[in-house]
Amino acid sequence: MAKRESGSGLMSSAGLMRYFEAEDSAIKIDPKTVVIAAVALGAIVIFLNFTVAHTL
Amino acid sequence: MAESERKGLKDWLHPFLTRLPAVKRPEKHVHFRKKLMWTAGILVLYFILSNIAVFGLSEGSQDVLAAYRAIFAGATGSIILLGIGPIVTASIVLQLLVGAEILKLDVTETRDQAIFQGLQKLMVFVMIIVETLPQIFGGYLQTDPGIAQSLGIGTDLLTLFIFIQVAIGGVLILYMDEIVSKWGIGSGVSLFIVAGIAQALVGGIINWMPPYPTHELGFSVLINEIPRENLPIGIIFKWEWLVSNFGLGHWLSPDNIFTFLYSGHVLALLATIAIFLMVVYVESTRIEIPLAHSSVRGARGKFPVKLIYASVLPMILVRALQANFQMVGMFLYNNFGITWLGTYSNGVPVDGLMFYINPINGMGDWVPSLAAQVYPGIQLWQIGLHVLTDAFILIAGGILFAIFWVETTGMGASRVARQIQKSGMQIPGFRRNEQVIEKVVSRYIPKVTVIGGAFVGLLTLIASLFGVLGSVSGTGMLLCVSIIYQLYEKLASEQLMEMHPLIRRFLGEE
Repeated sequence: MAKRESGSGLMSSAGLMRYFEAEDSAIKIDPKTVVIAAVALGAIVIFLNFTVAHTL
Repeated sequence: MAESERKGLKDWLHPFLTRLPAVKRPEKHVHFRKKLMWTAGILVLYFILSNIAVFGLSEGSQDVLAAYRAIFAGATGSIILLGIGPIVTASIVLQLLVGAEILKLDVTETRDQAIFQGLQKLMVFVMIIVETLPQIFGGYLQTDPGIAQSLGIGTDLLTLFIFIQVAIGGVLILYMDEIVSKWGIGSGVSLFIVAGIAQALVGGIINWMPPYPTHELGFSVLINEIPRENLPIGIIFKWEWLVSNFGLGHWLSPDNIFTFLYSGHVLALLATIAIFLMVVYVESTRIEIPLAHSSVRGARGKFPVKLIYASVLPMILVRALQANFQMVGMFLYNNFGITWLGTYSNGVPVDGLMFYINPINGMGDWVPSLAAQVYPGIQLWQIGLHVLTDAFILIAGGILFAIFWVETTGMGASRVARQIQKSGMQIPGFRRNEQVIEKVVSRYIPKVTVIGGAFVGLLTLIASLFGVLGSVSGTGMLLCVSIIYQLYEKLASEQLMEMHPLIRRFLGEE
């Protein structure tokens, strides 16, 4: 069977052209890291929203 | 000469682009159940983030993207208020540059694909800044001086802090999208669009709160000295309020029935159902080219050429382009008092070029008696010109993006022919030859692309003319149904692959 032709790595998503298959990056993030970062940011902002009161 | 210079530019860019962090790709096939888990997990995370308000933002802040939430997702005043705006905008810019061959990239080549992908990501980072700064300097995202005081810092520092939150929110959306695209089902972009619209639709049915909860209910309530309709958002509670305050007989009389149909969202409900049925019907309309395997007798297949070959999704690009023009127009008007492009009142363009190129969003934009309330003193020809302009933008944009889309994504006749040839299939009654197959499929594909693109534009126009439940725009509803339909098809094929690993190879996946 012929090897998959280069060029079929297109991922159509909502009309956007993306080539995640072809992407090569030296810096790889684990998906869990992204989730942890998001939760951390959320927690910090919630904490600030509830602790810092509005004075004036 | 120029060619070698461009090559030089690419070589020069390449090492830089590979240093942009990317989410790790799964090394082997991810099980369907695990994909489902990642998708659901990111969806929950998205909903949580969309409910966290930016710290330090004042109550007086406005949402520039309010009318475009259905396309850009995100939520007003939350840390993800940019939504997928930067991703979509970056993608349009790059697609137009490549489609018009200003940027010469051969996207059939892996190396150029990597550059395309890298450039797109770089552009998203740029767009995060480009879309946040005007909102801060234009006075839409205002700093709360009270909070700055209680922290004992200057408002400038707090403004910087707001910028950082919004920017990080934008970056998070970028990577969450990447996670869904690599580890989940479909893509984050479509997931977030559907999530936002589904949420608004549910609200449009069962939300008992009015848009301005601190004010009394009524048809014309003064909010910041502007009369606005303040009825419960959910259709059930809207009807309940209308009937218990005026009686059913009042609304059924010929004088008032139109008000009931419009303000009671009966028309919106009908439009919602109509759009749903229309999209499902149109998505499944196709011409099927019969195929038979050349050596395995009895193995038959079909190559479907859908009526909307490039799908309704390029409409996001058209609407997003319009949204970006509006942001520029509003920024120029508010900050530099430039009026020749159009003047704005409450974030809506009321005249000039910007009025005409603003998307039609519901019946308030074209039914003369309703339009007169929104745009006092508007003339009939102005309404007509506005509708015609939007129709032109949608249809021309639909055709343009459909052609770019089909040509650059390998859905064009020659690529399809090669794909069929390689799969070992042939069109019965024709010789098994790539050129022959190309000749047959090119009878359909270019025509279907253009007709389909125009048709999608028309469909979007019709959807936009009628409001949809929960103030989701018609375009949003159209996209949402279409995305879900495609997701359904994808789910079906994923499940098929899970059951028969051989099919994976046939369909061209690892």
